[in-house]
Amino acid sequence: MDFRFDIIADYMPFFLKGMGITIGVSLAGVIVGLLLGLVIALGKMSSNRWIQLPFNIYINIFRGTPLLVQLLIIHFGIVPLFMSPSNPIVSLVIGLSLNAAAYIAEIFRAGIQSIDKGQMEAARSLGMTRAQAMKLVILPQAVKRVIPPLGNEFIVLLKESSLGSVLAAPELMYWGRAAAGQYIRVWEPYITVALIYLVLTLSLTYLMNYVERRMSTDDQR
Amino acid sequence: MISVKNLKKSFGTNEVLKDISLEVSPQEVVVVIGPSGSGKSTFIRCLNMLETINGGHVIVDGKDVTDKKTNINEVRTEVGMVFQHFNLFPHKTILENITLAPIHVRGLKKAEAEKKAKVLLEKVGLSEKASAYPDSLSGGQKQRVAIARALAMEPKVMLFDEPTSALDPEMVGEVLEVMKQLAKDGMTMIVVTHEMGFAREVGDRVIFMDNGYIVEENEPKALFDAPQHERTKAFLSKVL
Ligand SMILES: Nc1ncnc2c1ncn2[C@@H]1O[C@H](COP(=O)(O)OP(=O)(O)OP(=O)(O)O)[C@@H](O)[C@H]1O
Ligand SMILES: [Mg+2]
Repeated sequence: MDFRFDIIADYMPFFLKGMGITIGVSLAGVIVGLLLGLVIALGKMSSNRWIQLPFNIYINIFRGTPLLVQLLIIHFGIVPLFMSPSNPIVSLVIGLSLNAAAYIAEIFRAGIQSIDKGQMEAARSLGMTRAQAMKLVILPQAVKRVIPPLGNEFIVLLKESSLGSVLAAPELMYWGRAAAGQYIRVWEPYITVALIYLVLTLSLTYLMNYVERRMSTDDQR
Repeated sequence: MISVKNLKKSFGTNEVLKDISLEVSPQEVVVVIGPSGSGKSTFIRCLNMLETINGGHVIVDGKDVTDKKTNINEVRTEVGMVFQHFNLFPHKTILENITLAPIHVRGLKKAEAEKKAKVLLEKVGLSEKASAYPDSLSGGQKQRVAIARALAMEPKVMLFDEPTSALDPEMVGEVLEVMKQLAKDGMTMIVVTHEMGFAREVGDRVIFMDNGYIVEENEPKALFDAPQHERTKAFLSKVL
């Protein structure tokens, strides 16, 4: 089988541009997902059932339906209500953020609930409000425990951003499909795209390991 | 100082405190003893509302903590609590453990809080540990820090829930010593403990709890030497 490196060379500028967008939308998705996820996690942990309810529903919907379906609904159903024509990158970022928020909320909740109950009790017995105890005692300890699963979530998000190609968002996978379509070739574009994803996710794994090690030597715990 | 009236507390269908009434005067040291599961921890935790109460009243320093209008956080600043498992904040140094609440709850300046914390550390004999983390301390040292942390809020009452039960035997003494000194300084204290020697020596009054009731209460000497109730006798014969 002849392997046509000229196709790869031809498309490399687009692959690199696509990679930039892949990184950008994933990063945006994770950042918005973190903020939203924290709010959802705290909401779900409310002692009031009626406050919990909407957050529970949110988490169940976004974790229980395919991201592809969510993206299609957002891009063709919801974003057009605010924006015409709807921009696929905007839709992709919204979809990834909302989806990641549901998973990140569960990561935060598990991290917060893994902290010994005695910590909250000690903080409250000193007169701290629940919010103070969360901010000063619980969250700083939970952060260390949620770093590894958050790293995983980031990697998942990076790979799932490839679904943006269905919306014609010009991320990495989109250009892979474009090259495949133009030259009617399978191996060259898809192998290249796969390798670029692999480099991204492995770098991210390495980075997360580094952060984890730094945090565990930062202080005693 | 503390006034408990007909306190009732259940976990689901399990009625743990059935009808508890107790008055504690300022500077008094009340020791609570009783078999495992009799409700001692639950009782002491009701006093600063770590448990929600199902009936009766708890009045701390004139404030009814069962009243919804009472600011429970304010009351808690007056009630120090020491736990069986220390519950120090592992991500903070010893000094930060002690200054955290004074700074964020009392609104003290950092320098002022640290100055007070150092005095307290001196008092519990741990000055050299100020910048250490809790994990590097022995159980006895942790519990002394926990006491200093509670004292930093300058509470009017101190509650102790089996402060020495999680300690190796050779460390029990150092913690009891700090508590004795505290009692001598005139602190109002309620102490759940299995240390009968401490109860006898330091307690002004001993309460024997069983099955959700206060079965008997008296001065230590009278209660230990001449218990009136069968259940008290049975319990004491096992632990003394
Ligand atoms: N959070 C809880 N939920 C349900 N039941 C509880 C809870 N806390 C305590 N109990 C129950 O209440 C009863 C009294 O418990 P408590 O811890 O007050 O006893 P105790 O006298 O402190 O015993 P010990 O000497 O073992 O510490 C026990 O039957 C226990 O199972
Ligand atoms: Mg107990």
